[in-house]
Amino acid sequence: MKRFLKWAFFIVLILAVAGFCAFLYFIPPFFIAPPETFSKAQNDAAPTVAGINDPAERAIAEHGRYLVVTAGCIGCHQVPGPKGPQFDKYLAGGLKFLTHGGTYVARNLTPDKETGLARRTDGEVKRVMRSGVFPDGHVTSYRVMPWGSYTNWTEEDRHAVVVYLRHLPAVRRRIPDQGAPSPFRDPAAYEEVYGGKDYTTGK
Amino acid sequence: MTSASRRFVRPIAIGALVFSGAIGFGAVRGGLDAQPPTTPSAPTGSAVAAAPSGSAARGKRVYDSRCVECHGKTGVGDGPAAPMLMPRPRDFTAGRYKLRSTETGSIPTDEDLLRTVRQGVYGSAMPAWEKLLPDAEIQDVVVYIKTLSPRFTTELAAAVTLGPQVPSSPESIARGHQVFERLSCGSCHGADGHGTFAIATEFEDDWNHPLTAADLTQPWTFHGGATSRDIYLRFRTGISGTPMPSFKDTATDAEMWDLANFVVSLGRKPVWSMNAEEVAALYARDAAEAKADPIKRGKYLVDTHLCAVCHSPLDQDGKIMPGMTLAGGQLMRVLPFGDYPTGNLTSDKETGLGGWTDDQIKRVITTGTRPNGVRLPPLPMDWSAFSAMTPADLNAMVAYLRTVPPVSNKVPEITRPLLPMYLWGKFKMLILQDDPPIIIYPGNVGTKGGQR
Repeated sequence: MKRFLKWAFFIVLILAVAGFCAFLYFIPPFFIAPPETFSKAQNDAAPTVAGINDPAERAIAEHGRYLVVTAGCIGCHQVPGPKGPQFDKYLAGGLKFLTHGGTYVARNLTPDKETGLARRTDGEVKRVMRSGVFPDGHVTSYRVMPWGSYTNWTEEDRHAVVVYLRHLPAVRRRIPDQGAPSPFRDPAAYEEVYGGKDYTTGK
Repeated sequence: MTSASRRFVRPIAIGALVFSGAIGFGAVRGGLDAQPPTTPSAPTGSAVAAAPSGSAARGKRVYDSRCVECHGKTGVGDGPAAPMLMPRPRDFTAGRYKLRSTETGSIPTDEDLLRTVRQGVYGSAMPAWEKLLPDAEIQDVVVYIKTLSPRFTTELAAAVTLGPQVPSSPESIARGHQVFERLSCGSCHGADGHGTFAIATEFEDDWNHPLTAADLTQPWTFHGGATSRDIYLRFRTGISGTPMPSFKDTATDAEMWDLANFVVSLGRKPVWSMNAEEVAALYARDAAEAKADPIKRGKYLVDTHLCAVCHSPLDQDGKIMPGMTLAGGQLMRVLPFGDYPTGNLTSDKETGLGGWTDDQIKRVITTGTRPNGVRLPPLPMDWSAFSAMTPADLNAMVAYLRTVPPVSNKVPEITRPLLPMYLWGKFKMLILQDDPPIIIYPGNVGTKGGQR
């Protein structure tokens, strides 16, 4: 009898473990929550334009907000954190992308004076979205920063995007400067963003 | 549960994408800085022979770092980004240029080419390089692109002589309006310049690439510039390779100047200089136009919302294969979740969206749930962003996808990794917290479009 119980216990244990593994395998965790949960957290994080005083600018920024949210800028330009993206630092960048052509880091799109887009003119920001050409003259692949798609925006829509970006809360977050698709050029900024962990070599 | 869901949102992030497209633009600034300045360009017309012989080699270096992404390594206008651009990048080997100050069919002058490189092409992806490159490099690159077509060695540019400019005045504009009607400009550009009552606004150029008649109410999109002189030159010289002819035989010089003044008068205020009421009116008009022509709106949305970047098979350069835009089959390996090939978005009945209902398409766009119940991770398919789209925009997108010509390209189902590998990946991600999902592009998997 005791022997039977022991065996039964083992069988139940094995079944439980197998069941748990199957559960993990067939229902990965991000499928447990309804899709709206992801979408809402991500889309509501975009700061509203209610604080803009000038009515024309507000209307344009509102349009820009719609474009920024639906075009998925936050997918790459988010701030990664230990518990998911830090949506309170909207579009402050820092994600890294390893590609054949080198390592890329998504830029800080907030209007911070030293580390963000406040350093760039409207024309420079639009040129990146239209032509993939950065202020230092380097051309980026249409697949890294997908300007191949954003180039099809009308100039007025592109303007609306820039107006909205100009009204984001500024976040001071230095992103390693990257003139060429080569390992980081700016060790200090690299240290600041990644705590010195070397991502350039793969792992 | 929420923590589990949050867990995944972090991964969205971390993706390390391996882009094949990132290849061709290697050394960027290096090597260019230390160049000696070249002599100023030869005067218009005298061209090739006078050009310094060394500058073509230097120009090639500039070209290889700045121009190949769009114009391609050989200058045929087939760079990796080319299939996504509208208008397409120029094919330098044909020696046919749109923006000239020379007779129809003639090659452009050096000044024309320099101007295009310096000032860019408005309303296109061509930037104004004068703000980015030293003028010596611009001159080198022009010498180089002239070596790509034999026409520049065998022909001479036949510069047009401009008629005396007619200054803009209400009378000149009224005369220009009559010329506009006599030459039937409205059949392509619309009676109001905005496409209203146009017979057709969609065309193809000589390379069979799509082309839209210019919206004359938006002068900031005129490729060659928006002054009356720029516009006059387009009438006088025609735009080679496109349906826009030269009017030198059908209108006098004075009439073309009047017409140019009239076209300038059609321009409306751009949104950046509008007041609140005007902005509201503009957006209301745009919304009404989107409602009236959902397919056009849908095309705009599909073009601008990255669809083709992933949903098309790529060649070795990372360029979308010819004729395969939106045909799917690019493999996205999301470690440790499995292989997610991108779907065929063309209207093909068997392999594309032809057999899907509108609601099924909208459901996968906004929630990442396929008709068979399989759910997609939030990246690379960014359904969480698309879920913020208005219902009208979603309907427009679906309406356009219905019209994409069918391409038969069967894409395999999603494949999951073996259980132990999956569990190990999961364990590293959830427990060790150091190995976020990585997205890799290993090649194409569709039946058409081939393996890489």
